[in-house]
Amino acid sequence: MTPTTAPSAAPEAVPAVRLDHVGKEFNGSHAVHDLCLDIAPGEFFSLLGPSGCGKTTTLRMIGGFADPTEGAVLLSGEDVTSLPPNKRNVNTVFQSYALFDHLSVADNIAFGLKRKGVPKAEIRERVGAMVDLVQLGGMAERKPRTLSGGQRQRVALARALVNRPAVLLLDEPLAALDLKLRRQMQVELKQIQREVGITFVFVTHDQDEALTMSDRVAVMNGGRVEQCGTPEDVYERPESRFVAAFMGTSNLVGGVFRDGAVHLDGGPALPVGPRPGIAEGSAVDVSIRPEKIWLSDFEPGMPVVNGVIRETVYSGPTTTYLIELAPGVTVAALEQNTARARMEDRWAGGETVELAYDPEHALVLSH
Amino acid sequence: MNPTAPPPRPRRRRGQRRRPVFAIAVTVVFFVLLYLPIAMVVLFSFNAQKSLTIFKGFSLRWYEAFFHDSVLLGSLGMSLEVSLVAMLGSVVLGVALALGLVRNKGRLGAYAGLIMMVPLITPEIVTGVASLLLFKGLGVTLNSGTVMIAEITFSISYVTVILRSRVAALNPEVEEAAMDLGATRWQALRLVTLPALLPAILASAVLIFALVFDDFVLAYFTTGVDPQPLAVRIYSAIRFGVEPTINAVGTLMLAGSITLIGLALAIPRLFGRRGGLDLISGE
Repeated sequence: MTPTTAPSAAPEAVPAVRLDHVGKEFNGSHAVHDLCLDIAPGEFFSLLGPSGCGKTTTLRMIGGFADPTEGAVLLSGEDVTSLPPNKRNVNTVFQSYALFDHLSVADNIAFGLKRKGVPKAEIRERVGAMVDLVQLGGMAERKPRTLSGGQRQRVALARALVNRPAVLLLDEPLAALDLKLRRQMQVELKQIQREVGITFVFVTHDQDEALTMSDRVAVMNGGRVEQCGTPEDVYERPESRFVAAFMGTSNLVGGVFRDGAVHLDGGPALPVGPRPGIAEGSAVDVSIRPEKIWLSDFEPGMPVVNGVIRETVYSGPTTTYLIELAPGVTVAALEQNTARARMEDRWAGGETVELAYDPEHALVLSH
Repeated sequence: MNPTAPPPRPRRRRGQRRRPVFAIAVTVVFFVLLYLPIAMVVLFSFNAQKSLTIFKGFSLRWYEAFFHDSVLLGSLGMSLEVSLVAMLGSVVLGVALALGLVRNKGRLGAYAGLIMMVPLITPEIVTGVASLLLFKGLGVTLNSGTVMIAEITFSISYVTVILRSRVAALNPEVEEAAMDLGATRWQALRLVTLPALLPAILASAVLIFALVFDDFVLAYFTTGVDPQPLAVRIYSAIRFGVEPTINAVGTLMLAGSITLIGLALAIPRLFGRRGGLDLISGE
């Protein structure tokens, strides 16, 4: 043992999933590039990104359905890179649910336990408990075809969870459900995950879904992880233009950073405070979330900028104003419909308004 | 109550309501020509006399004669045996080929898919002569075994054509799900993929059985002398004058075939879904 490496008093928990410089090449192009991720046991971890960003390929490499062309996949510290899916202690909820149509709901759920040779009495007991957990009571003897989309989704979940895998992989499991059911299943999935304490790796292209359910989110783009952190990290402190634009709506305005402000082309300067990492005079983007722009009741010390209302979009609880700061530079500002609840109180197109913001919320992203 | 508008009067255009006499006549003639000879065979199989032209009362004597004719019974036995073996052999190979063709996305799969279609368009007599030349060239004695080999070779394509679209329609994630749940590749095939294909497999099996049982051309070229498959035996018998026994045999074969085809059509319904003989029911 070398003297420089001090024995750690509390050894860090072995990650449930570790991707060690994993890459996947299809016909000469990288679907996934040099990916390093540690997912802690019991974590609800989301892989978020647009289609083709490599999130599903990453999930398939953890599940054993795709072989990485570089790097290693470790599950609970064990290298499983060359093991087939049936030798890995993970289970998958497929996007299409992939239920066995010729088997009843109960037999679908029992499939994995039967393969493992679990005694019949125990299978019956665990399947019964799982049917209750996913609220499919009374449906156990039905065929999957006779179930609704939401019920089929629950069968797929139960069929995977009943095996008590170390990690559950979920490939856009809610994508096929309608919005209302999806919201309901998001809450249920999160509850179930807390109840069973299994690590969830969840693939989605829906940023709302990732934000509401995850402990941590990895935002992927072009086969790489752009940013990895808590939902708050990736939403409030995006580190790249891509993450800022992909996570919710963001105002991205280009300009030049000088003297603690970003000077827009032919427009006002937006004070952003000192940014040690950004070179004076460099071209940057400023990112401000629409809900972080104030239109009234400014607090002292906030920078104030003038703009002209171009569009007013009313959407029930909130109203979005599109405001032009300079020719060709428009930002969106979101307001709760509390102070200006009535139509005649809201601004109309052409009116000049004052905007303010907290310089901390104006993120500077270098090119 | 609102005044209701008078119902629109059916407009009578000239010729619109006339019965399509010509079409009906053609249809009747078509069905008479198609089914009359078959109906005659069935009718005269119950004839009390030996005449093939005058019906002299109902009797089962020709059926009795058939069940005492050891040569014909031997032929029936051989035909059943050949059909069964050809059915099993061509279904196993045809399903395997369908799975391979669909899953091999490369050039090899494309070429194999084309070659697979060749037996379907080759005139059966060519296949028959070719098989005969092959067996003779190899010095193989012709018997029921050679008929089986020839029939299997000929039937694989039918099974593959029926199964291929079914295999292509399978969701690949279902087999992956089976492996994800601990099944080996073989278990995934046996427990998940084959059950999903079962209606199509059964339907194609029944079809092959019926086709092979009826087959004359291939059987004629590849069979030995004794016993001969039923179709060949009947042909040989007819050359020395028609015995009404043949009518009884023909009626029995007809009944058997209708049962099998009915079965093939019913199988998808028994499974509560489509998936059997799409070639016939259409999709």
